[in-house]
Amino acid sequence: MNVYRHARLLRTIVLMIVTGALLLVWVLPLIWAFVVSLKSEREVLAYPPSVVFEPTWSNYVDALFGSFSIVDSLLTSTIVATATTVLTIALAVPAAYAFARLRLPAKRPLGFYTLATQMVPPVGLVIPYFLILNRLSWLDTYHGMVIVYLTFSLPFAIWLMVSYMEDIPWEMEEAAFLDRASRLQTLWHIVIPQVRGGIAVTVIFVFLNAWNEFLFAVQLGGNTVRPVTVAMYNFVSVEQTLWAKLSAAALVAMLPVVIIGIAAQRQIVKGLTVGAVKGGARK
Amino acid sequence: MKKDKHNNQRPGTGTVRRRTILKAPLAAAAAFAVPGLLIGKAQAAGKYMNLDSFRAANIDWRMAKGAKITVGVIPAGYFQNLEAVMSDFEALTGVQARLEMTPPGQIRQKAVLDLSSKTGTWASHAADPMYYMLYVANGWIDPLDNYLGDAKLTDDRWFQFEDIQPGHRGATSVDRRPYAVPFDGEATIQIYRKDVYDAKGVGPADTLDEYAANAKTVHDPANRLWGCALRGFRGAGQNMYIYPSLFRAYGGEWFDGKRVVVDSPEALAALEYYVSLLNSYAPSGVENWNWPDIADAFGQGTLGSYIDAHGSAAVVANPEKSKVVGKIGFARWPKGPSGKRVTSIWNWSFPINGALSKKDKHATWLFAQWAGSREVQIATSYDFPGAYKRTGANRGSLWKDPKFLDLMGKFGHNYVKAATESFAKDTDPDWRPRLPQWPAVGDTMATAIQSALVGQAKPKEALKEAQKKIDQILKV
Repeated sequence: MNVYRHARLLRTIVLMIVTGALLLVWVLPLIWAFVVSLKSEREVLAYPPSVVFEPTWSNYVDALFGSFSIVDSLLTSTIVATATTVLTIALAVPAAYAFARLRLPAKRPLGFYTLATQMVPPVGLVIPYFLILNRLSWLDTYHGMVIVYLTFSLPFAIWLMVSYMEDIPWEMEEAAFLDRASRLQTLWHIVIPQVRGGIAVTVIFVFLNAWNEFLFAVQLGGNTVRPVTVAMYNFVSVEQTLWAKLSAAALVAMLPVVIIGIAAQRQIVKGLTVGAVKGGARK
Repeated sequence: MKKDKHNNQRPGTGTVRRRTILKAPLAAAAAFAVPGLLIGKAQAAGKYMNLDSFRAANIDWRMAKGAKITVGVIPAGYFQNLEAVMSDFEALTGVQARLEMTPPGQIRQKAVLDLSSKTGTWASHAADPMYYMLYVANGWIDPLDNYLGDAKLTDDRWFQFEDIQPGHRGATSVDRRPYAVPFDGEATIQIYRKDVYDAKGVGPADTLDEYAANAKTVHDPANRLWGCALRGFRGAGQNMYIYPSLFRAYGGEWFDGKRVVVDSPEALAALEYYVSLLNSYAPSGVENWNWPDIADAFGQGTLGSYIDAHGSAAVVANPEKSKVVGKIGFARWPKGPSGKRVTSIWNWSFPINGALSKKDKHATWLFAQWAGSREVQIATSYDFPGAYKRTGANRGSLWKDPKFLDLMGKFGHNYVKAATESFAKDTDPDWRPRLPQWPAVGDTMATAIQSALVGQAKPKEALKEAQKKIDQILKV
């Protein structure tokens, strides 16, 4: 019995060490950035790196309220990322349901077409988007930016959601139809609750991509729509890189995504372990 | 000279005056009695500069009143200072001009996208001088001689275009036609640890051989002091910022007729010098260092010397970042075997987008003139109320202005002399090969230089390979 308990303890310790080491690989840059954000610019460059130093919050104050404040840009990013996410989900869920369940003409080619739009390297789309938005006078506008983001978030979201929809047993919807539920009612009351994990995963990915997007933001935005990814570059000037302020700005910019991630975590776990009601297939 | 006095009021001035009138009839009477005097004062006092000196120019500053223009710039202290004083431009001209901060890597792409598609998104932008050949070959920007020569648009007795550093004007001209107003420019100089050099009994290098010898003398990596560093990071604006000066100092010529030649014996000698110097005396990893990394290392006291833009003095002499304040000396580029010292002619300048309407072009010209004027150069330099003062003032006369020299002199030993002599004697219009395909040629050379530095290829092979690629690029 004792041997068994020791073996179990050893296994737990080994697992903890391995897990901790692996986690450290991902967490170390964050810890490093946090430590840097509390140092003065002079201490940041000290070699060997100073372990004992007088921490200062002034970099956060500068990043938020200084001459290169990122507050407006955080608001811009929030608007763009939220609008992109809400519109994507609103359009992707019914579209994915249609691909998963309805008998559509040219369903396969349509599905491929949706995916094909993801195959073009984004840099190849910058020029056409720039010209189109300019023709519409939508450069440096929120709606222009959100529509551009929709063009790559929507195909991704549809394909992600289709896989979740297909996993729902067809019999559940059949039962709803027998109870005289309409197609929309079935989608709303039966299907969506079943795929909420998938929706949470999609929300995270779409929001994250829109939040972190840089290429289109810098080319299609301007002084009005200036997301935080572009604004952070103010700390990387041609003259010098203000590492401490940049780290503080980056950590602040991470917060909304982390908060959404934590909030959606329960749903994501459910989404990943949706196997309890697996079944169904593409009809 | 036309002036719309009522529109020249600064925002808010009118409201204050109305309230004053309501509260104090006597004051109102006085105000009505001498309206010209009161309004005149409001006009004269820009927030950052006296606008009367602009109005002394014999041009109509209100000619484009109501126009709205956007100007792309990069995040940098000098443009931040310009942005801070922009309200005075609007007060003077009635033109709403906004600066749009765009990262350096992307400003070129966005400018080319905008200019090539003729969308006129940016009326002007802080342009890389190496891009003018491309812009001009495609007719994307307006030549400025039409503006400079038009008495309605320019009063040169006031503007004094010729006062702008000749090297910078040359760098923004094509076939002797000016295409932009240089705003902020630099000279490349030698920056060294005077205390270390003095202790070792050496002075700043006069020749490239001496520079290597100095690096060897002070090189002491065991005590975390490396002999020197130069930009090693790959890029048309990084290692291809330094190498062209070496290439020219070794007597290299970029053109043989119309063909660009990068594998000549002089090119090879320059590259071998660069590779040998950095591999012997620079910290490991220098192949990934751009100038901010070098300035940071120097500021931490780990480099004996480096050669880079004179503006980097503002970083290495900043007590908030640097440990070597008061220990720095400056000198001109060392001479190469050809006897030349070759500084960069780098500057940020404002061209006029050819796709604009006439009114917007006039508004942009007013902006470019205003930004390049002596008054704005002073207002964003020694007269700027913030902590950062510009060092890259564009005008020769400013480099003789005692207040400016007083500011510059604080950076360290021989700073002003090194910078002014470099501006005067070391600029070379053929510093880099000026051709429309520069972005691709510059990148090809940058790759070759870095591959030689890290030992992926021998200098000779790297240059042969670069020559082959450049021949292909220029054939298309």
